Amino acid sequence: MRPRLSAFVIHLALFVVLAFWMAPQVYMVSIGLRTPAQAFDAQLVTWPMTLSNFATVLRDNPLGRIFLNSLIVTATTVVIVVAAASAFAFACSVLRLRGTLALYTTLLTTLMVPIASIVLPLAVLIKHFGWVNSYLGLIFPYAALGVPFGIVILKAFLDDSPRELFDAARVDGCSAFQTYWHIALPLVRPALTFVAIWQFIVSWNEFFLALIVLTEPEMKTLTIVPMQYSGLYMANPGALFAILTLVALPLILLYVLVQRAFVNGLLSGAVKG
Amino acid sequence: MNAPRLGGTTIGASGGTRRRFLGSFANYAFALPALVLFLMFVAYPILWVIDESLNPADGAGLSMSAYSAVLSDSVFWTALWNMTVWGVITIPVQMAIGGLIAYFIERHTFVLRGFFRTMFFLPVVTSVSVVAIVWVQIYAPYYGVGQEYLKYIGVHLSNSPLGDPHMAIYALIVVNIWQWTGFSMLMYIAGIANLPTEVLDAAKVDGATGWRLGLHVVIPMLAPATRSLLLLGVLGTLQTFPIVQLMTVGGPNHASEVFGTFIFKESFILNDAQKGGALSVIVLVLALALSLIQIFVFGARLAPTKGEA
Repeated sequence: MRPRLSAFVIHLALFVVLAFWMAPQVYMVSIGLRTPAQAFDAQLVTWPMTLSNFATVLRDNPLGRIFLNSLIVTATTVVIVVAAASAFAFACSVLRLRGTLALYTTLLTTLMVPIASIVLPLAVLIKHFGWVNSYLGLIFPYAALGVPFGIVILKAFLDDSPRELFDAARVDGCSAFQTYWHIALPLVRPALTFVAIWQFIVSWNEFFLALIVLTEPEMKTLTIVPMQYSGLYMANPGALFAILTLVALPLILLYVLVQRAFVNGLLSGAVKG
Repeated sequence: MNAPRLGGTTIGASGGTRRRFLGSFANYAFALPALVLFLMFVAYPILWVIDESLNPADGAGLSMSAYSAVLSDSVFWTALWNMTVWGVITIPVQMAIGGLIAYFIERHTFVLRGFFRTMFFLPVVTSVSVVAIVWVQIYAPYYGVGQEYLKYIGVHLSNSPLGDPHMAIYALIVVNIWQWTGFSMLMYIAGIANLPTEVLDAAKVDGATGWRLGLHVVIPMLAPATRSLLLLGVLGTLQTFPIVQLMTVGGPNHASEVFGTFIFKESFILNDAQKGGALSVIVLVLALALSLIQIFVFGARLAPTKGEA
């Protein structure tokens, strides 16, 4: 095949696969845009479309408050994970403190712990701290479960950085914190971005703990509200799918905005064979 | 968590022994936040479930009775089988589709590369609770669009496959593959983007093109990404919970039960902390064993990085 022709065929094939892959998302938005009469039509897209479902659900439900809950929990978790993981990776990889390598291996076991197997004690612990229906009840467990992955990425990055930079800082009389802040952090910025974005996605979409910790309607996060609405709007799929679209949209938009930084972070630290 | 307070300490500080000791000791503050989080929210809960699983509610001393209760429960074996099927199907299928898409995007697209990379990844960032409800609708009889389109290829179903004990788990697996293939794609994109161009050019000079290049050069060179995906896939399989809880609650009649839903039922619905604990410990041991085997025998890594894991 001539190069131009084969490029065309490959693009065509990718678009066809993509069309299939996007069908569920298209279906979701399309049901949200239907009138009650079309709501149960077994078609991917129907005409005409209406925005009235979106207007109704935005008027009748505290979606703004729920969005804010998700944002507070997620953003705080991301900050803690980035800070704690980069500090630990620094202690382990740059300062090379005795014992931190063994600790590193221990912390890694976290990645192998299914959330399901520790969710019961976490629930007990959160209750004990009085964190039921509080942001803290999600923030700290999310951070604890997220830090080890951040450490793996950041430590690999720091291990790969030129050692001379840190030696020079020491000779110049930099304190450990100055070295961490002014040299290590800027050096691993692509990896920090990657860790922050991934943690954002994971925390924003976490379901199991949020289901158990958040019981008051005004404390719930976006991930757990679709459940309650699926009962409420059983006979009105248009409204339900309008809510689903609104729940899914923020993170999709955010990802589209940051995807370049996310992929670059992954590429800069990724497997080299 | 407080930020580490470290004014004045220097790395391996020069000066007296005492100062150096204090300096390096204070440096442990860098490791402290991660360590405290781990001890409180990971280590303690693990010890708690182990303790709980061995202590009957009536306080009659240590007992393994919860473990025998779990192992003699047929639902446990159903869940184990479902998890096996889940891993055996989802991991290779996601790798194959994700890998193919990644290969064509990276090697043959230029202007639209960012567009394709982003679009195929969107299901990963879509909230699982949204995904669950959308797919329940797709699978629904009469008004579901999935059944409608299956008719075009001659498949007629009268009910939702989610309600059929023989099909429920496979219907869930399809959803999982749809949601997570983009993740495999991205890991392979990272691997392909970092392939040394000299090797690929040399292979082309030697006459390897098209399929042969992919099969004999690219796939072997992507082995590290494949090993990471296998490890993450096994761990992800054992983490499976929300999609099943939301779409079938493990039913009908436990047919699509997975470890997550089973633990949830025992611990939070039946309030049997001892059995729930024993189950948790079993899953935990399984996850650790399967991970360690992959890490030490196959050299798998937990993250797509050059570092050790």
